[in-house]
This record gives sequence, structure tokens and C-alpha cells, in this order.
Amino acid sequence: MSAKNTHISDVLVIGAGLAAERSAIECASAGLNVIILSLVPPRRSHSTAAQGGMQASLANVAMGKGDSPEIHFADTVKGSDWGCDQEVAKMFCETVPSMIRQLDYWGVPWNRVTAGKKKYASGIETEDTKDKEGLITARDFGGVAKWRCCYTSDGTGHTVQFVVDTQVCKLGIPVHDRMEAIALIHDGETCFGCVARNLRNGELNVYLAKSTIIGTGGAGRIYAASTNAVINEGTGGAIALATGVVPLGNMEAIQFHPTGMPPVYILMTEGARGDGGYLLDKNMHRFMPDYEPKKKELASRDVVSRRMVQHIRAGYGVTSKYSTQQHLWLDIRHLGRQWVWKNLREIATIATNFNGIDPAKELVPVIPTQHYTMGGIRTNKDGAVYGLQGLFAMGEAACWDLHGFNRLGGNSLAETVTAGFICGKQVAKYTLGQTRNFNMKMVDGFVKKEEERIKNLISGKNGRENAYEIRDAMGTAMMDHVHIFRTGKSLEQGVAKLQELYKRSLKIGLHSSGQGANPELAQALRMPGMVRTALCVAYGALMRTESRGSHFREDYPKRDDVNWLTRTLAYWKEGADLPTLNYEPVACPILPPGDRGYGEASAGPKGK
Amino acid sequence: MELAKNLQTTINRSHGKTDLYVDLAQSISGVLLIGFLWMHMLFVATVVVSPELFNTLSEGLDRYYLAQVGIPATILLIIIHIFLALRRAPVRLRDMRITYRMAKMMNHYDTWVWVGQVVSALFVGVMASIHLWIILGAWPLRAATSAVRVASSGPADITWGAFTFPFFIVFYVIFLIAGEYHGGFGLYRILVKWGWWERHTMGWVLKGITVIIVGLGFAALYTFTQIAANLPAGGVIH
Amino acid sequence: MGRKLTISCFRFNPNIPGDKPRMQDYELEEYEGMTLFVALNDIREKLDPTLMFDFVCRAAICGSCAMLIHGRPRLACKTMTRTLPSKFTVMPLPVFKLIGDLSVDTGTWFRDLQVRAEAWIHTNKKFDFNALEVRMENETAEKIYDPEQCIECGCCVANCITANIRPDFIGSTGINRVYRFLIDPRDERSDADYYDVIGNEDGTFGCVGLMACDDMCPKEIPLQENLAYVRRKMAAAGLKLKFQGVKIS
Repeated sequence: MSAKNTHISDVLVIGAGLAAERSAIECASAGLNVIILSLVPPRRSHSTAAQGGMQASLANVAMGKGDSPEIHFADTVKGSDWGCDQEVAKMFCETVPSMIRQLDYWGVPWNRVTAGKKKYASGIETEDTKDKEGLITARDFGGVAKWRCCYTSDGTGHTVQFVVDTQVCKLGIPVHDRMEAIALIHDGETCFGCVARNLRNGELNVYLAKSTIIGTGGAGRIYAASTNAVINEGTGGAIALATGVVPLGNMEAIQFHPTGMPPVYILMTEGARGDGGYLLDKNMHRFMPDYEPKKKELASRDVVSRRMVQHIRAGYGVTSKYSTQQHLWLDIRHLGRQWVWKNLREIATIATNFNGIDPAKELVPVIPTQHYTMGGIRTNKDGAVYGLQGLFAMGEAACWDLHGFNRLGGNSLAETVTAGFICGKQVAKYTLGQTRNFNMKMVDGFVKKEEERIKNLISGKNGRENAYEIRDAMGTAMMDHVHIFRTGKSLEQGVAKLQELYKRSLKIGLHSSGQGANPELAQALRMPGMVRTALCVAYGALMRTESRGSHFREDYPKRDDVNWLTRTLAYWKEGADLPTLNYEPVACPILPPGDRGYGEASAGPKGK
Repeated sequence: MELAKNLQTTINRSHGKTDLYVDLAQSISGVLLIGFLWMHMLFVATVVVSPELFNTLSEGLDRYYLAQVGIPATILLIIIHIFLALRRAPVRLRDMRITYRMAKMMNHYDTWVWVGQVVSALFVGVMASIHLWIILGAWPLRAATSAVRVASSGPADITWGAFTFPFFIVFYVIFLIAGEYHGGFGLYRILVKWGWWERHTMGWVLKGITVIIVGLGFAALYTFTQIAANLPAGGVIH
Repeated sequence: MGRKLTISCFRFNPNIPGDKPRMQDYELEEYEGMTLFVALNDIREKLDPTLMFDFVCRAAICGSCAMLIHGRPRLACKTMTRTLPSKFTVMPLPVFKLIGDLSVDTGTWFRDLQVRAEAWIHTNKKFDFNALEVRMENETAEKIYDPEQCIECGCCVANCITANIRPDFIGSTGINRVYRFLIDPRDERSDADYYDVIGNEDGTFGCVGLMACDDMCPKEIPLQENLAYVRRKMAAAGLKLKFQGVKIS
């Protein structure tokens, strides 16, 4: 085995989701030669699964009247629990309206304002005026002061990804799909591209470029249960971390969504509760009002998730055929068949398709589930990665730091295209001013190293550990120790387990021949990087002795702005079995830290 | 198409309307033929009402040269239709195998129906030629001549279990079913391709019409056999 | 307890010299709510680590996992095993290039399609970062969303006899894709421009009307309506007909 093909371009984009493709468009439009690598065809990217919408302060819909980038900014910063980069957030909020309009120009069929009086399920009555008719409308979302979530029915991510991809087709940007980057090529100062494994035939390829962009999405699959697609294994972050000089930022900031549906943890959107759905325990008791008398099921995502887990821990969880772990019920039966199948059609279809449940007459099993990684490859506001020149990152894979410690719903999709645009421009600017000499001897060194890894996995030289077993054990350890409620003791155990698993992951050997596009080999190659990523999350969580946003420490339940108004930077030194953590201060130049309106989170379990 | 540019496709592109004309012609010839077929069956079925009505109609068609023009026109239409439809049918052995295997594996109703249409087309093609050859040989058409034809033994009677049927009765039963099947579903397919209507409802309407026409055909065949049985021995017709 | 399932899988890895196409049976115990996503992963992780197949979203959103299940193209992720007999076959989609076992290359096929169909908004307007969006009826937006829901899973290509025997045929998904742009007021192409793209036997006039696409679309897109619309529209464009007062849409 050796590298069969070497491809040289100005810009190499790893990943083909929204952030990656949007930045590729920016570079190609600047006249640069761009190649996109992707695990899957672009239109299969996880970006397509985002259903809710994109936050942008267009202020067209009646309930969004008076909205502005400033209000969007304030919502974002509060949501982040003052963990975000306020300069980035400001730039983002100011740019995103024009991004929505550009997507419209490219063909996204945004839903529009229709004039007239309306009554919503939540009881709100509004009137949209004639002068706004035909402009892009918006819907409500958690944690916002104004309605600003632009959408296309229930498939916003899908339409946006498809439309952005039409531009990639139009520009003729080559996409090498089923091509997985397995190592970055660098000399400790500059990134030169990557070594990639072709998932069609198993051959190694070399990609060399002046600039390399990582836009590979989140790492949800380090948890056994995640709403993420199965390809979201954090591979982009893992190869950056493996360089030893690039840090992952704020990896302990993981968002959990209250309602994932077991056994495969598909997301049941917030709409179910928004329309009046209840959460029930094993005694068919509606428990949320006991904890949150005011907001009940509609408290913020973190709070609801915490309460649910707290309730299960207190012994009120349901044991059923749907899941091996205890869960709770989502009840929307009282909304009536017509309502369920008309207004909550997406949920109804998913429940029917995947559990054979008709939610109009049956209960839907739900459990808080890993949903989003706020952290990622740390970049500056131009998207340039810390530690290596010529390397950029954007989207969920990056820690541009728009989200801090909790992401606002509808800001993720918006971040992808906005970061792709803003940072893509910076990549183009940087690339146009660069020349590169590729040291082929160094490149060969990286290829040899990967060949060696593959050879050893096939021969079992380092051991015969099973890749799938390690992945499952890692997922379980993350669920048991690094979930919604975190304590020092449990995190210590988790870190110890993960360290043990990390050692085992270095001794993986294949149980098949590894020939061609062998799927076991692909998993085996990813495993050490995945465990390293998991360790960054667990160890970061252990060391952060405060609670902020979605990072909740039972032993340190308060936010601590004196000591912890910082961003975690996790490095992985060669030969280490733990990340090295550094911290950088988080500046709050515009909105000083204040109250977020939570604080209800320390009461004990309730039950009947 | 963009990526398939070679000499042939480039030249073909400059005659870019051909594909449209051919497709339209197939559909139009199909509609005309099904129109002819249904009309033909209604005319034939008049024999059920009375052989005299049948004879009067037949004489009328001859007198105003409708038959003399209509028959060659229909033959021409059939030839055109066969020629155009062939480009859609699985012609190569490989294609036939793929078609059969996919239809069998998916067990999809409309796909099976289409396979049936391809097969029925073969029957219709061969049998229509024989039918035309015979009736043109025994012109003009009258109830009694048709009765004799329908009831005749042809090459040999056909025995099926305890029953024995005259050859041509079997021939016409098969021809009737194959023709109506091919035509009825053919019209369905044309309407599916071009139409505005919900296809499942439309399918049921067309099936209804086809069943009625086939029923009429059977009634006519039965009437012919009765007429033939009542004819004087030796078959003096006039 | 659950049934014992026998899943008969098509096996062939073109990258292993000497490998021959065959069917291989795997036995596993069914449990409540089991989908083929779970079953196939169980097989790979516990019985046979070489088995190749594709899943991404496992929620019927991304279109990766279409395969012939018990004879028909379906999305494996949303196919519940209890809707199938205790022994059934799974095979890769036909038409698309086989990567190995149940995995096929839909990516290349669909990429090719986008280029052939010039499936992007064609406009001479320049985008102005400071201008408001162009107004549009909400109804129009919803009408565009309808065909835009296609997830490019390839089911309609696999179950189409024409696509199976005519490799250049654009397929139901291709015609539907053109339809999406045809009804979009932002696309400034004339009907004659669209005619150049699909007014031929590889495009809209190649469809025989077998409607397997319409019957088996996992997203339940009204393909018959959309295909017939395009056919009428293209015929009118080809004949340069102006249907004054006659609604052809």
C-alpha cells in the first residue's frame, strides 16, 4: 500500500457540510483552486438534519418587530453564559441577515410573511401587515427576545445545504466524496494538507494545499447516545489535536437536548412541548411543574434536561421495551389526533417510522441526549487555527466561539454559513498572498506513518483489541461520567476509564482482513483520536470547577466569573495519555457578565 | 446532455425536436388506436342487438368509403405505433432479463402491468395481422360471414379438458383480451405521463371501461356462434 | 421473545481480487422496535466486521441507506424488521456503481445529474448585500419546497426499468429536480433553455410512466404530477405553443 494519488490545490476543504461548502464557495469565487474532501456526498452531510431554522434579525414578522443585531447579540451572549467571544458574536449577528438574503438569492425557499391576523398554538395572537407581505418570515425559538428564526417548513438544513451545494456545482468545485482525512501534514508551524484514505477502495491519497480548512462538524458520537448522525465522530478535531500544536477549545461544553427518542435517539423537536406536550414519569405523573412551577416543560434546554435526569435518578424513570436505559415519556395525546398529525407531523412520522408509535394515542419514550459540541478546534475570529499557519476551521468543528457554554437554538445553522462566508474570505485573502514549497520527503514521512498504522492494525502487531468494543465502552463511560450532571468524583472515574480505554485503543487489531474499503479498518483508525477527544471533554470538565451554561457541576453549582471567565485550551502532547490544559481569558468588552435567569437548578428531586 | 457530448449526441442536438415528435407521435397514435379499438368493438357489439343493424352499419361504412380509407389508415397507424413503441421496449436480451428480474423482485403492480403490455403487444401484433388478412379476404363484412369465421375450426379444433372449441373462438377470445388489455392500460399510461388526473382513480375508471368493452366483445362472440349454429347446413350465406 | 431473523445479504467486494458475488445469511434475534439500521450494525459489529453499508443520519433525512430490502428499494434506517418476513434479502441498489456489498456510489451519479440538469438558479441579477430580499408569495415558497424535499436516496432510479436499461436516463429525481427550478420565479431561464437541458429521450421524454418512483418515494413526493407537468411544459416549449387561456400547469 502506498499513496496512489497526490492532489495539489490552493485550498483544501475537509468536510462538505454547510460551513465547509460555504467557505469553499468564497475561495473559489476569489479565483482559487479548491478541492473538497468529504466522508459522504455533500448532500448527505449532517447539516441537512437541522430542522428548526436560522436566527437572523430581519424583523419582518410581527413578533420580530423592532429586532436588531444588538438584540440578537444580547440573546447569544446570555445564552452562552458569557462564555462566547463577543467580537465574534457581534460580527456574526451583523452579518447573518445578509447571509439569509444571499441564500434566498441562491434559491432557498424561505417561508414568507402572509398578511392578516393569526392565532398560534401557544395562545399568542398577532397581525402581520401588508407592507411586510412576501418578505422572509420567522418563528419562535427557545431563549430569544424576538421571533427571528427563519425557516423552510420543517427542512431548513436540508434546503440550505442543497442550495449551497448548487453553487458548489455551478462553480465546478471538485468534491472527492468518501475520502477521509486521517492525518494532517505539517512541520509544527505550517499545515501543508492531509493524508486521506479513500473509502471506496482503501487507498491512501495525499492532498497538498496552501490553506487547509476543517469543517467536519461535531463529535457527538463519542457519547453512546447522541442525536447526531453516525458520521459525527469528531474526526476533524481529532486530526488537528493529533498534531500536538493545535488546541481544542471548551470541549467540556456539550449541549444535551431534552427529548431524544430511544432506541436510536432521534431528535423530537421542541415543538412538541411548545405546543403543550407533557413529560411523564413511570407513575404517569407530570413532574416538570414540581421542579419548575413557572416554565414547566418549557424551561430552557439545560434546565429541562437536568430535571429529567434528576427525576430518573430519584427512581422515577421508566423501564420499557424501547430502551435498555431508563427513560421518561413525552405525552402529546391530549392535543388530539388532528393537531398531532397536522402540526407535529414530523414528530408523528418519526415516532411511527422508528418505534411504530402513533403519538396521537400512545406515549413516546424520551431521554436527554447529547446534541451539540460548543467546543472545537480553537480559531481566532478569522477562522485561523491556533498553532498552525495555513490551517483554518469553521462550523461545529471549530471553537470560533460564538456559542460559549450554551448554544442558542437556531444559531448553529446560522453560524455555518456566516462563518463560511466571513472566514472563507479571510482564507482566500491569506491564500492569495502565499507560496508554498512542499517538502516531499516530509510528506512521504506522514504517508509512511499512516501506512505503518494500517499495517499494524491488520497484522495485530500492537494487540487484538476490538475497535467496536472500545467505541462502546467509551460511549458508555461518557454517558456515565461526563453527562448532564457532573461531579469531581465521577469525572475522575470517567477520566481514569477513558485513559485505560486510550491505552487499549492503541492496541487495536482487526478481526477482518482490512482489504479494500474495509469498514472495521476505518473505525479502528478513528478510535485513538476519538478517545483523545473524549478525554479532552472529560478532563476539561473535571478541571473546570464551576457551573456555566451546559457544563453543570453538582459540587460547584455556581458560575464563577472571578476564576473561570476563561476558555479551556486542550493540547495533546506526543506520548501523553491526558490532554494538557491551558486557559485563555474570555473578554466581555460589550456586555459584562450578568444574570441569565436560571438559578433554579439546585433544588432536590421531587416525586410522587 | 452535458456530459454525453460526442459526435452523435452533438449532431442529434441540432435536430433537438426529434425526441419530442417521436414521443408525441407514440402517444397520439396510441390514443387514436384505442379510439379505433373501442369504436370497433361498439360496432361489432351491435350484432348483439340485431344482425341487421350490424349489416346496415357495415354497408354504410363501405358505401361512404370509410372502411376503404379507415382500414389502410389503421394499418399505417399500427405500423407507426409498433415502430415508435419498440424504442421503449426491452429489445436486447440483457434488457429483457433486467426487466423481468426487477419486475419479479419488486413485485410492483404498474411495472408488471407494463411487462404485460409488452407481451400483449406481441400477441396483438401477430393476431391483428391474421385478423386483417382473413377479413380482407372475405370482404364485404356481414354478420353471417363473421359468424362463420368466428365459429370455424381453422387449422384444428382446440380441446381443453372435456371441452372442445373451434380454433377461431379461442383465437378471438385471446385477441380480444390482449387487445383491450394493451389498449386500456396503454391509455392509462399515456394519461399518467401527460395528464392532470390522480392516477389511481383514473386507473379504476379505465379498468371499468375495459371490462365493459371486453364484456361486449364476449357477448358479440357468443352471438356470432349462435348465428353460425342457426345457419343452414352447407353454409349458403346470401 | 423475538423471532429469529435470517437476513440474506448480497456480498461482493470488487476491491478484493477473486471475490465473487454471493448471498450470505446472517441469523440474529429480533427485538422490539428493531430497524434495519440496528440489525445491520449488529451484524457488522458482532458477526462480520467486513460487511459494507452506508448510514449517516439514521432518521430518513439524508438518503444514504437506500437498498433493496425484500426486493424493493427502501431506506434501511426506517424499515422496521417486524414489517418483513423472518427471512428476507437485502441487496444494493441497481443502476449505481457498486462500491461493495450493500454500498453503492450515489454521490457520483447525483453530482453528474446536477451538472447535466444545470440544477442551480440561473439569474443575471447581481446580489446586493444591502438590499432587501425580493418578495415572494408564501404559497410559491411552499410549492418550491415540495419537490425540493428530494433527499437523492436513489430509490426512484433503482426501481425504474428505464433507468435500469438506459444508463443515460436522468430518472424521476432528475426531472423532479428540473421541475423545482422550473417553478421558481428566481430562475430566469426560458422554457426553451430548459428544453435544451431535458427536452429529449434521456430527459423528460424518456419516461415510460411505470410510476414505481411515485409509489415508492420514501419522502412521498408527488412525482407523477411533477413529471407530467414537466412533460407538458417541455412539449409546449418544443412545439412553441402558446396555450392562451389554457392552463397547462
